[in-house]
Amino acid sequence: MTVDSESVHRLSTEAPSRHRGRRGDLVSMLLLLVFLAAFPFVAPGSLVGVGVYAMIYAIAALGLSLLMGLAGQVSLGQAGFFAIGAYTQAVLVTEYAVNALLASVVAVAVTMTAALLVGLPLLRLRGHYLALATLGFGIIVAVLATESDFLGATSGIFGIEKPDVNGRVYDSATEYFLLLTPVVLVALLLARNIVESRIGRALSAVNDSEVAAESLGVDTFRLRVQVFVLSAAYASVAGTAFAHWIAVVNPNAANFPLSVKFLLMAVLGGVGSVYGAVVGAFAVEGLDDGLRRLIPELVPGAVGEVQLIGFGIALTLIMIFLPGGLHQAFQLLVGRIRRGPSDGAAPDPGAPARQVDGGPLLVREGRPEPGTPLLVVEGLTKRFGGVVAVDSLDLTVHAGEIVALIGPNGAGKTTAFNMISGAVIPTSGTVTMSGKRVEGRKPHVIAMAGATRTFQNLQIFTSSTVLGNVKVGRHLRSRAGLLRGALVLPARAEERALERSARDLVELLGLGPDADRLAVDLPFGRQRLVEIARALALEPDLLLLDEPMAGLSGAERSELALLLRRLRAGGMAIVLVEHDVEAVLALADRIAVLDDGVRIALGTPAEVRRDPAVISAYLGVETDDGSELASVEGPSAS
Amino acid sequence: MTDLLQLLFAGLSQGAIYALIAIGFVAIFAVSGVINLAQGEFAALAGLVAISARASGLPLPVAVVVAVATVAVVAVVMERLTIAPVKAMTTLVSLILTLGVSTALKALMLLVYGPNAEGLEAITPGIVTVAGVSIRYQDLWILLVAAVVSAAVYWFYDRTVTGKALRACAEQPVAARLVGISLGRASLISFLIAGIVGALAGVLSSPVYFTSWESGLALGLKGFVAATLGGLVSIRGAVLGGFVLGVLETLTAGYVSTGLRDAVAFLLLIVVLVVRPGGIFGRHAEARV
Repeated sequence: MTVDSESVHRLSTEAPSRHRGRRGDLVSMLLLLVFLAAFPFVAPGSLVGVGVYAMIYAIAALGLSLLMGLAGQVSLGQAGFFAIGAYTQAVLVTEYAVNALLASVVAVAVTMTAALLVGLPLLRLRGHYLALATLGFGIIVAVLATESDFLGATSGIFGIEKPDVNGRVYDSATEYFLLLTPVVLVALLLARNIVESRIGRALSAVNDSEVAAESLGVDTFRLRVQVFVLSAAYASVAGTAFAHWIAVVNPNAANFPLSVKFLLMAVLGGVGSVYGAVVGAFAVEGLDDGLRRLIPELVPGAVGEVQLIGFGIALTLIMIFLPGGLHQAFQLLVGRIRRGPSDGAAPDPGAPARQVDGGPLLVREGRPEPGTPLLVVEGLTKRFGGVVAVDSLDLTVHAGEIVALIGPNGAGKTTAFNMISGAVIPTSGTVTMSGKRVEGRKPHVIAMAGATRTFQNLQIFTSSTVLGNVKVGRHLRSRAGLLRGALVLPARAEERALERSARDLVELLGLGPDADRLAVDLPFGRQRLVEIARALALEPDLLLLDEPMAGLSGAERSELALLLRRLRAGGMAIVLVEHDVEAVLALADRIAVLDDGVRIALGTPAEVRRDPAVISAYLGVETDDGSELASVEGPSAS
Repeated sequence: MTDLLQLLFAGLSQGAIYALIAIGFVAIFAVSGVINLAQGEFAALAGLVAISARASGLPLPVAVVVAVATVAVVAVVMERLTIAPVKAMTTLVSLILTLGVSTALKALMLLVYGPNAEGLEAITPGIVTVAGVSIRYQDLWILLVAAVVSAAVYWFYDRTVTGKALRACAEQPVAARLVGISLGRASLISFLIAGIVGALAGVLSSPVYFTSWESGLALGLKGFVAATLGGLVSIRGAVLGGFVLGVLETLTAGYVSTGLRDAVAFLLLIVVLVVRPGGIFGRHAEARV
């Protein structure tokens, strides 16, 4: 039996909706700001206390929301990291009399290190393993804290004082709320920036199609680890705030129900919507407080964490009826009010690209000299059980040439293609790209070596616009990391340049009128062009196209053929798998023919056209007369 | 030597409980790709229901039947109310859904049965000593029932038409539907099986390990680890995984430290998943595109 590990990890197509709900996002941020500013002054005294906990937990929930929205992973051990932060802070402040601010920096660093150690092995795995392993991690943190005399065993660490800034002691609920407000806002702002940044864009693409994102050079594993560590950092900030407020840290800080609470906050607010986590935190803390009062009245003698019943029911109901959480509800509301012109003006999809001149395209400094071997494939073999899909394929592609891979259905073209691009691990053989051995490596390694691909079964990033898709292609041609992305300003110039080059490419492929539409809303053939634009955004030395002509109209086909010639003139090498034999014969410099996994011919179109083995493979008959392949229709594409 | 034998035996008994829970995980995951985080709660609930049924004067066998039936109904209702209505079931959604159910069940048990841990009375009380190793009769019952149940579940999947249909759903959902197998029904049956084996694990373990509203958490986590050791989709693997985990835990508790006992499962999980993602008994997982 096979595990369906490729199952999508997204909650809904709404999250993270960067492009459709921008104004809605802004409105909600503003509302939140007003709410936070007014809360400590308007709310009754006891509620302010609840609000302080909501603020503390909101930070941890924000981290979890980032992890779930960006990395598509869920952690059931967020309280474990929360506790590490809280304990480190408590020890530093009480045992070593470290200044609270300095201590919190250390606490966050300690937690991030722990998260890195836990995340490195676990993030290679799929969703449910990480969830259960983090659950186990949380339990272990609680066990270790209970067993450790240094950490005060079951009773924990006492006597953590309220922070004191320039003589002002933040010891009332209102004061502490005010102290936390800027912290929460900064946390929120950083999170929001990250979602919008190059890293956020790449991770959102990973959630839509992991293999496509990796083929564009996105190192999924590395980014997931980064987000996981960041999420733990958020938890630890919350932990340090918690330690000072409650004045005692005991093993309950790593309690599993607390992890459930964080999860509920993130889910209720709307996964991937950052402000949602804060709203969710207030809602859940309110629910918690209410249930703790209500349940003992309804059920006499009820003790312990009975409020969990509300958490459980809320989690279930949200997932069934409102998987996008409050954020989704809000979007629907805002959307209903301002539905209108943006949807009406659908551009004319039929307009082909206007090619003004036919000169070379994407000429780039440092491209390999035309004629030098770029891709060298030797003895490439793939066996699926007893079936040999590809048998010892040899192929060399030189810079600045177009090589086509053709053959009947089931000849092994796509398998060969997948092995070269890193999507399938070969059984044996080598693939060398620009002098670097890449066989069996992940697609992003091959992308870094200068080769990228498009897909026969389209792998469009469904939650992005056409422009957004192409921007992901610029991933390797831009550099802003998590930190620069979070701070926005240092990355601004780069973002602007990136936007410009992505727009140029979109225009080049005649997609200009559709640039800001969701890519999935485009017709099939134009989605194919989006994939090509996206691949070109990488400025590859080698472009691998899997059936680029399928689904295109006659006019679009000749436009594309022209484009490919211009790219070749610019020095790019192109390998294409194609069923349209006519187009291939007209376009390619050399053609390799596969049949039953074996390369039966390799040569110029003129040579291949007359090759008896090729003709018999296509027509299924032995021929030795002078017939040519030119009139043979390729088998129809699926 | 006697020590070692004693520990090994205790490990096998503990492992049999993990094996039963693991079968429940596999039964559901294999059909629908859902990791049921409420699996441990099935066991805890069965234990608590049996204890209270016994306390109200019912004979032990009746109390056990009542407990298993109750949990079976809970599992089926859970499937109909929370799993069946969801159209696009992703990993994230399924985890959060079943976590919700698990949390609600936990709190419900706390409300109804209170916070204290109790033990059901043993089927046959007492201890027998063989070659210096003292063995509880209950341990023998655990091993016996676990063996019979695993064999029965295995037989069900391997020999009956319904079992084969369930396997078909797991392997080729679309093709299974084309030949007239209902995925919804398959999912329902898988929850029923998971409920029954989980409940049996709960009533069997209660006399030895006691039951409280929160004992499902550890049981569920360890059952999951056992199922993962076996590759997550194989009944045989799950049973073997349960025994391996049980024995390793008691050996660690006996020779290293009792405190580390609970860390074993977690460490084993990481090591196995990183070194052999297909499970220690399974084939290496192939990347699929």
